[in-house]
Amino acid sequence: MLLQQTSARKNTSVRRKLAAFLLCTVPLSFSVHAQSTSTSPSASPIYKEFVDEAGRTVRVPQSVQRIISLAPSLTETIYALGLQDRLVADTDFCDFPPDAQKKPKVGGGLNPSLEQIVALKPDIVLLAKSFNRIETLQALETLGIPAYGTEPHTVQEIISSTERLANVLGAPEAGSALAADLQRHLADLQQRLSGFPSRRVLFVVWSDPLISVGKDTFIADALKRAGASSIVDSSQDWPQMNLEEVVRLQPDFLVFSGSHSEAGQNDFDVLAERPGWRGLDAVRNRRFAVISDAVNRPAPRIVSAIEDLARQLHPEAFAPHSEDEKEKKTPPRAEPQLSSTAFESRAADPGQMEACPCAP
Amino acid sequence: MRPLTLSRLLMHCAILGAILFAVVVIALKMGAVPVSLYGLVRDLFHVALGQASQLSSEHQLIVFNIRLPRIFLSIFVGASLSVAGASFQALLRNPLADPYVLGVSSGASVGAILALIIEPRLALAPAIAALFTPVGAFLGAAITVAAVYFLGRREGQIDSATLLLAGIISASFLSAIIQFFMSTLTGGNYHGFAFWMMGDLSTPQQPIVNWIVRVGFFVGAGIIYTTAADLNLLLAGEKEAMHLGVDIRRVRIVVYIAASLLTGLAVSVSGAIGYIGLLVPHVMRILFGSDHRILLPTVAFGGAIALVIADTLARTVVSPSELPVGAVTAVVGAPLFLYLLRRRLA
Repeated sequence: MLLQQTSARKNTSVRRKLAAFLLCTVPLSFSVHAQSTSTSPSASPIYKEFVDEAGRTVRVPQSVQRIISLAPSLTETIYALGLQDRLVADTDFCDFPPDAQKKPKVGGGLNPSLEQIVALKPDIVLLAKSFNRIETLQALETLGIPAYGTEPHTVQEIISSTERLANVLGAPEAGSALAADLQRHLADLQQRLSGFPSRRVLFVVWSDPLISVGKDTFIADALKRAGASSIVDSSQDWPQMNLEEVVRLQPDFLVFSGSHSEAGQNDFDVLAERPGWRGLDAVRNRRFAVISDAVNRPAPRIVSAIEDLARQLHPEAFAPHSEDEKEKKTPPRAEPQLSSTAFESRAADPGQMEACPCAP
Repeated sequence: MRPLTLSRLLMHCAILGAILFAVVVIALKMGAVPVSLYGLVRDLFHVALGQASQLSSEHQLIVFNIRLPRIFLSIFVGASLSVAGASFQALLRNPLADPYVLGVSSGASVGAILALIIEPRLALAPAIAALFTPVGAFLGAAITVAAVYFLGRREGQIDSATLLLAGIISASFLSAIIQFFMSTLTGGNYHGFAFWMMGDLSTPQQPIVNWIVRVGFFVGAGIIYTTAADLNLLLAGEKEAMHLGVDIRRVRIVVYIAASLLTGLAVSVSGAIGYIGLLVPHVMRILFGSDHRILLPTVAFGGAIALVIADTLARTVVSPSELPVGAVTAVVGAPLFLYLLRRRLA
């Protein structure tokens, strides 16, 4: 209306005709779109409803046969549950277990191809709040594809989240077996570490600038489980640390995570050369621990990373004779070789993990 | 300047419209999931005949529910940015002006980031939560536009130089605030916002948002078009224009508000996509001359074509991943701008 009024006042025929031309194109462009809005995927007979960890209600087919994972942690969880045959695609970053790399890819976690996801006709798409964008979740919902979001903040929540996810995917037995096993490992560890003072550590996420973890992250909780406490008391998840503050707090250990131990070693050597870092007792005495980058992923494998860290920070808790001195009753299965992974011991469970090539 | 005739204007628009249509069809075919040209033409035929129900559900979903809305969004965002860019270049009489030069995108970013921070604290229905970012971004843009307007006045009216300085300073101040807020974002929100800042069209918008962007484009561009003849005179200089009877005050306010509206709407659905609003007007000026009566419509088509092509590249270059479209426009736009610059000097 405004457009017509103003152009009329100007009294230029070109303008008026152009305005009419522009207005004509409006319904044209809209009508094409109107054709395309009303769709829903072909309805499968039976659905179940779940509330995901983002608080959204998700309708999932009774029998989930086609899963797409949009986060490495969720891909690992699916393998740990023995559901890898139903995983039809994952992301470019899903590298564990190695078999996950061979799955078809739908892109990265931040920028997956929606149309690729649609074309694979998933029964459910799994997302992790820490790795995916909320927009992706909303977009999938708009397209009528069940999208289930997870958001664990502690090690305990990782386990309960895994159990809930197993339930959603229709494998509650595998879920409770895996959860019970992880709980057992954590309980063993807690028993072993009881009586040892916790180590004050600095978890190095990134060294330049120095980024560590805040107190509300599952990594901070994992450190606690390993008999350590982060010197960082920040409510930000990935706080940038002031080196002066770190020197003042004097951590007992620096903790690095890496896909292989040499990487962490290198990180340490680079830091040790930097001015200022020599002021740290931990650097002068070369006290540092390197653990698997599994600690960075909210997936069952984090338990093995926790055990590994505990072993490096509290070797005396794992030495056989110190056990005797302390007269601890250790369960027969918790032998020192437990080092490997939580997965390996799970492989003993019949019918669950034999297809998993993740054991070293 | 060649005299303007309606037939010349319509012919230019028809040619550009045909190019846009061809680009849209190609963009519909391209994507992570292969769609045969035959299948696409058959589907388009069905849709044209109103037999959409005969489409296979997969094609229906991928081509018509994912690709087509996104292409439409590209068209209107590209057209809005280009028209806004051409308007600001004329208004500020500065060839470097683009839709973001006055801080609109920074204001929209602050609004969007506040929406991202606040949204999780309110338990909202998903449909409303999805509107939160675009609405926040638009409010941020609107507040910035108003603030820059009042800062940019001298002796009660807008002064181009003051407005430009006020806009640039506001933008840099707001960027600092964005940096501060970004450090408080976590996980997926942080990633999402970083994507948004680069300019991204991958998120399907709610239908209501799409409608607002479309209607907003026609309203904003239509209003600016009423001043096209005045903008031509403004090119000769403000004093000269005034002597020739142009109500400069009115033109400035009308163009400023309408162009800001276009920018604000575009930014709130797509983030800050660079170079479209800067480059397309320059290219169109070279092709069609600087008569705004013909420049503004051709710029709208040009912007739409450019952004549809850029977004198709963003969808396909690293398929099945996607690039933010702002990265594509920057990579292509910056060298092109340099080329145009050298050409002008030669």
